[in-house]
Order: sequence, then C-alpha cells, then structure tokens
Amino acid sequence: MAGAIIENMSTKKLCIVGGILLVFQVIAFLVGGLIAPSPTTAVPYMSVKCIDVRKNHHKTKWLMPWGPNHCEKLKDFDEAVSKQIEANDIVFAVHIPLPSKEMSPWFQFMLFIMQLDIAFKMDNDLKENAEITLDVSLAYRDGVFDDWEEIAHAIEIRKLKCTFGSPKTLESEGRHYDCDFLPFMEIGSVAHKYYLINIRLPVNERKGINVGIGEIKDIRLVGIHQNGGFTKVWFAMKTFLTPSILIIMVWYWRRITLMTRAPVLLEKVIFALGISMTFINIPVEWFSIGFDWTWMLLFGDIRQGIFYAMLLSFWIIFCGEHMMDQNERNRLSGYWKQVGPIAVGSFCLFIFDMCERGVQLKNPFYSIWTTEVGTELAMAFIIVAGICLCLYFLFLCFMVFQVFRNISGKQSSLPAMSKARRLHYEGLIFRFKFLMLITLACAAMTVIFFIVSQVTEGHWKWGDITIQVNSAFFTGIYGMWNLYVFALMFLYAPSHKNYGEDQSNGDLGVNSGEELQLTTTITHVDGPTEVYKLARKEAQE
Amino acid sequence: MSPEYCLRSLLLIILATFSANASNWLYLAKLSSVGSISEEETCEKLKGLIQRQVQMCKRNLEVMDSVRRGAQLAIEECQYQFRNRRWNCSTLDTLPVFGKVVTQGTREAAFVYAISSAGVAFAVTRACSSGELDKCGCDRTVQGGSPQGFQWSGCSDNIAYGVAFSQSFVDVRERSKGASSNRALMNLHNNEAGRKAILNNMRVECKCHGVSGSCEFKTCWKAMPPFRKVGNVLKEKFDGATEVEQSEIGSTKVLVPKNSQFKPHTDEDLVYLDSSPDFCDHDLKNGVLGTSGRQCNKTSKAIDGCELMCCGRGFHTDEVEVVERCSCKFHWCCSVKCKPCHRVVEIHTCR
Repeated sequence: MAGAIIENMSTKKLCIVGGILLVFQVIAFLVGGLIAPSPTTAVPYMSVKCIDVRKNHHKTKWLMPWGPNHCEKLKDFDEAVSKQIEANDIVFAVHIPLPSKEMSPWFQFMLFIMQLDIAFKMDNDLKENAEITLDVSLAYRDGVFDDWEEIAHAIEIRKLKCTFGSPKTLESEGRHYDCDFLPFMEIGSVAHKYYLINIRLPVNERKGINVGIGEIKDIRLVGIHQNGGFTKVWFAMKTFLTPSILIIMVWYWRRITLMTRAPVLLEKVIFALGISMTFINIPVEWFSIGFDWTWMLLFGDIRQGIFYAMLLSFWIIFCGEHMMDQNERNRLSGYWKQVGPIAVGSFCLFIFDMCERGVQLKNPFYSIWTTEVGTELAMAFIIVAGICLCLYFLFLCFMVFQVFRNISGKQSSLPAMSKARRLHYEGLIFRFKFLMLITLACAAMTVIFFIVSQVTEGHWKWGDITIQVNSAFFTGIYGMWNLYVFALMFLYAPSHKNYGEDQSNGDLGVNSGEELQLTTTITHVDGPTEVYKLARKEAQE
Repeated sequence: MSPEYCLRSLLLIILATFSANASNWLYLAKLSSVGSISEEETCEKLKGLIQRQVQMCKRNLEVMDSVRRGAQLAIEECQYQFRNRRWNCSTLDTLPVFGKVVTQGTREAAFVYAISSAGVAFAVTRACSSGELDKCGCDRTVQGGSPQGFQWSGCSDNIAYGVAFSQSFVDVRERSKGASSNRALMNLHNNEAGRKAILNNMRVECKCHGVSGSCEFKTCWKAMPPFRKVGNVLKEKFDGATEVEQSEIGSTKVLVPKNSQFKPHTDEDLVYLDSSPDFCDHDLKNGVLGTSGRQCNKTSKAIDGCELMCCGRGFHTDEVEVVERCSCKFHWCCSVKCKPCHRVVEIHTCR
C-alpha cells in the first residue's frame, strides 16, 4: 500500500478531519448519556403459591397469580400444613409483567434468574450437592381475556449452591441459607404482551427427586430485559451509522479499483473490516419489532464475533505489512501463525454460544452451566479461547516491538538515504505511528469506560441532569469503533493526488518539502511488490 | 355545622389525646378474623387506627392486607428476638397491644416502633413484587426522568414504594402532632431507623449477560434482606441504643445524647428517653406480665439464665416427658413423616 491519503494531507486538514470525528464521538456519548435510559432493567418477581386443585389434568390448566381468574393462594406453607395440601399440589406462579403493565417487542430479550429462599431447620437440613428438579412451563397471551398459549415446557435440574452463615444450632432455625442464584430462562424476543410462568417442584421419594432440598419458603425470580428507550436510541444510531460506513466503503473501493495495480492485502483487510462493521451496523433488529425472531440474540453475538475477529486480524496484518525489513508478505498465508489463534478462539466461542444460546432457541430453560459435563465443556471452550487470545496478544506485542525497533533503526539512517527512499520510509513510519496512536487511544477508552461503567452505579447526577453512564458507554464505544473504521478507510485509502500527479512530476524534489506535506514519491507504476523489493534491498544494506 | 358533627369531632379529639399510643395500629395484626380488608367500611371498623390512618386505609384499600401482614411480621420477629429476655414482647388482646411498656419512651418502645415500620415497608415491598398492588414503582419515582415510564426506562425499585408507604402510614400520627414533643421526635427517629435497617442492608446482586455471557452487559438490582436479618440488625441497635434528651438548636428541636461524652447517634441507631422497668413483677396496670412462670436456662449466666430471668426469686425444676419428632422424612413443603420419640427433660420455671 503506497501513498495513502493520510500522508498527502496537510496537518491542517488532518486536524480538521480529527476535529469532526471528535465532535461525532462526543455526540455518540451524549446520545447515550442524556437521551437513552439505562440499558437494562431488572424487575424482581415474587412467585405466588397456588394450590393446583385439578392436578390430574393440569396440562390445560394455567394458574394465574393475580387478576380476575387468580388461583387459590397460600400465604405461607404453615397454612398448607393445616389444610393438608401436599408439595405436589403447589404451583409457583409468576405473571410477567406486574399489574397494569405490558411487555413490548422493544425489550428485545428477557432473561430470568431464580432465587430460592430456603430456611434452615435442624432436622431438615439441606443435603450436600442437593439438586432441585423443576417442572416449568411458559405461556403467553396478547389480550387480557385471551387463553394462555404454551411456549415451552421442560423438566430441568438445577444444582443448589448454598452456604449457611451462622452455626447450625437450634438458635438459628428459621434463618435463610445464602444461595447462589440459578439461571432460569432466556428468550431472545419479547413478541407478546403477557407471559405466565408456572413452576412445580414434584416430589418423588422413590426416585429421590426433590428430596433433601430443605424447607423452601419462597421462589423469587428476577427478570432482566433491555429498556425500550435504549433500544430505540440504539436502533436510531445503527440506522444512522449504516449508510455512513456504507458510503465510505463504496468510495474506498472505487479508489482502489481506479488504480492500475491489484489491491494489496492490507487494502483488502481494511475493506473486510468495513464489511464486518457494516454487518454489525445493518439494523436488522427492526424486524424483531414485527416478527417473533428468537434467534436475534444469537445472530447479534455472531455478528459481534465476526467483527472482533476481523479487528484483531487487521491489527496483526497492519503491523506485518509495516515491518520494513521483512520478506515479501502481502499474502494471508504468511500470517497463519497469528491469525490461526484468532480463528481457533472465535470458533471455540462460537461453539460455546451455539451450545448455550443455540439450544435456548429450542428450550428457553436450558443452560449449559447446570450440568457437570456442560460446565466442564463450557469452561474448556472458554479457556481455549482465552489461551488463544493471550497467544494472539503475545504475537501482536512482539510484532509491534519489532516494528518499533525497525523504525528506530531506520530513523538513524534516514538522513543518509536518497530523498525518494527517505520519503517512502517517513510515510511508512508516520502511517504506522498514527494508527498505533489512535488504536491505543480507542482501546484505552474502551477499557477505561468499561471499568467506569462496572464500578459506578449506573447514573451520575449533575444538578438537574442525569447522565446514564452505562448507556453512554455502549453508544460511545459503539460510535467510537465505527468512527475508527470510518477514519481508517478514509485516511488509508490510496491517495488520489499521488496517483494523478506522479507521472507528470518527474522531479521528486520539487513538489515535496515546500508544501509541508508528506508525499510518498515511490512510484508505484510497477505495483507494490516493487516497494517491498526496495524495502528488502534497503534492509540488506 | 350540625351539633352531631361537633360532638363527633370533639369525641375524636378526646380519643386522639387519650389513646396516646402511636403503635396502636399494630392491633391490625390481631385482626386475622376480619378476613381481607376489601371494603371502605372495614376501615372504619378497624381498631387502633387514628382518623388519618382510616383515611389512608380508604384510599389504599389494596395495601391494607400488606400492612396487616407487616404488623404480624413485626410482632413475630419481636417475639423471636426477645424470646430469652425478661420482656419477651408478649402481646395483649386489648389495646395497647404491648401494654403500657411501649407507651413510655423506653428502649423496648424504640425497638417496637422500628421493627413495625420496617415490617410495613417489607410487607408492602413484597406485595409489590408478587403483583398484589397496582401502584408500585412506576407511579412514584421513575429513574432517568423520562416520562414514558415502564416501556421507555423501566420502573424504580419497589422498595422505594414500600418505604414511602411506611413513612406515610406509620409516621402519620407523629406528623399530625407537628413533631414537636420529644416522644414524637423519638418515635419518628426510630421509625426511620427501622426502615434504614432494610435500606442499608439491601444486597446488590448482578448478572452478566453480554456476548457468550460475558460481563460486557451487566445488570444489577437490589434485593431485600430476609426479615430475620432486619430483626437481627435492629436487635443489635437495641443493645446499643442511645439515651437522649431534647435540645433546641436554633428554632428546631432535636434529640441529643444525654451523656455528652457519647458520640452522637446516627440515623440508623435507636434512641430512647426513659429507662425501662426491670420487668420482674406482674403489674397489669402497666402491662408488665412479669417473669414468674417463664422457662429459664439453668446453665446460662446471661439474661436467659435462671438467676437473672427470675430476678433472684428462684425457680423450680420439673421433669417432664416430652414427645418429640425424630428420624423425620421431610418434603420441601408440608409433609413430614416422623416417628414419635419420648424423652425426659428438665424444665426450669421461675417462681
């Protein structure tokens, strides 16, 4: 890649471009911080204990916790003992959402976790490694007077991980165990207005089902969904960003095809990065408002994965292509060592995601973490992906180090070079350092904002203005990487000036220097391979 | 104004001044026979409410069952926390519920006020989460300040509603007096301390749900502590309660520690004005049942030990055969299959 726009641009113009990008960046943060609400909401639900009076044909019977047709309720289980009701007759019912509210497709996804309140009793202690068997079913309806339609029904086993803070004496009877919450359910679309969950805890002493799980007092659920306001802001942003990236992509590719030579690897990679960014940007989520597409969550994961993989590959290839004393590269196969870990890592995460969210398309109550084998498998995938990532970063750091070593070597010998070569190297060095700088800045911003959003409590008050830190993080960082890709395609596109003027300007010394522009004057009539040959020769000297 | 109306309001004023016990609404806990409070007329019949509480009852009928549940919770918890003490939070079937002990500004009164206001906040919040109440969360403070409500930005925590309701229902008595007397100040402080015992012990729980379950997306929420935990916290505050007296700073009256060497109490601490009686002797006039007939622990040197519990009157020991349940098979609910076991135990009772 010779003669990019960035080298031929005056400092003033560069500053203007930078300024404009910065303005957009600030807007991206402000949109999230000021307009959007917090990204997600958690709604606590307390299940209502219903008595299943017609348990023999319970297939058709849905038990409502409240409302006009609500079930026969139990206040607590002491009441059940006096009424001689058995464990198998009790159904925990949760209606989503709470009264006088409606769910909406703007919520995008719903996930539920489950918390059990188990009281300590001296003679009814929780067994070691106790497992709880849940008979769960989920139904929906769109009108208050419609019938419930079943979405899913499953029998799930969850492991109880509980600790007890006080000594297990008679004194502490009635205290609750401290239990980890259990993953309960995940659905990738919220297409209906009302949902109903019925949970049964069937007891079968002969098979040892639900025996030794202590005295359950309550089942609580926490439902998490994306806020409608955040979804709207997010969609608006995507809809705005898609055409901007698309336009610059078309412009970029036109510039490349205008040249007489074939595009080099780095140019192709930048283009691929643009494609993967557009792939994320395209707001297909709009369809989720009208259609019940539960796979949207999985699809979003895949799109993000592709982009991350592309970005990581780009960094490696960019470093490699700026390694000035390298053998001829310009082939993807030359990078197998570095790109290999990325491919393996992404593949692992893809398999893991398919095992978790893929299976959840069929059974929303499924979770890979609930079984021993599943947990080990999931951990294996994640660990392999982690190792790959570490490996990748080692390679990357090593490469960056090599490039810097070369640069410092080159810089000392720069004055001795002929003007053409010197300008070529200066261009390479400038291009590299510039990208290094903005990449580091972007990465640092991402990390800092990530930490800030993890540590702070979601929103800052500033007089009357509330700033939603988490939303600002999402929109800001998303906008930032879009601007990064945009800037990359714009600044690293082949220079028009260079392309047109070069042949007419035979004398290399005239047009540079005086214009305060970094002009690469290596003629590329012979194509980029000539540059690499030159570079190699230089290195051998 | 008709003479009848005058008479009625006069009667009300007299009633209000004489039944000078703001915790009388706890009598709700005793009214399990009333059934569900679902009509406005029931509010009038409820014993122990002052006029403004009756009005609140009429306006918030659906919440009243939770208030009653809160009162029951509070009394149960109080009796659990004080089961080993001379004053064991025993209730009477008449008004005032706890006898005269709570009408005075004692430590015990401080605890009762705190646990009962916490009980209401707790029960109302719980009822919110189980869908029994319509008005929770969204109508009050919607976070983010956007007007679109649930769809746009979700609702605020239910605990905000529970605490706000507890404030307006439990504190109304003291507020109506203008918060000037030192008793009113003490009650208000302890009510608030009770609610703080919930608020400051909320557990923050988080769930990661980003790409492949990473923490890129993380949602946190606050979960209420179990009520036993609230009781434990308040019992600790009871043990370290501060004796206070009234003092004027500028034109406002505040409570300051009687002993100026003590560090000033915080919002979470309990305060009291009068020292407690020893609760040893039966004194029905003051609602003290006394400790005679109470079981005690022979080996303990603490307050549940026979020495202290019986106030030095001594105790007698009986050998009693008790039937206990043993080698039980439990289900998670309701069904227990046990063998009866007979055991002879020594029971010590105060004279």
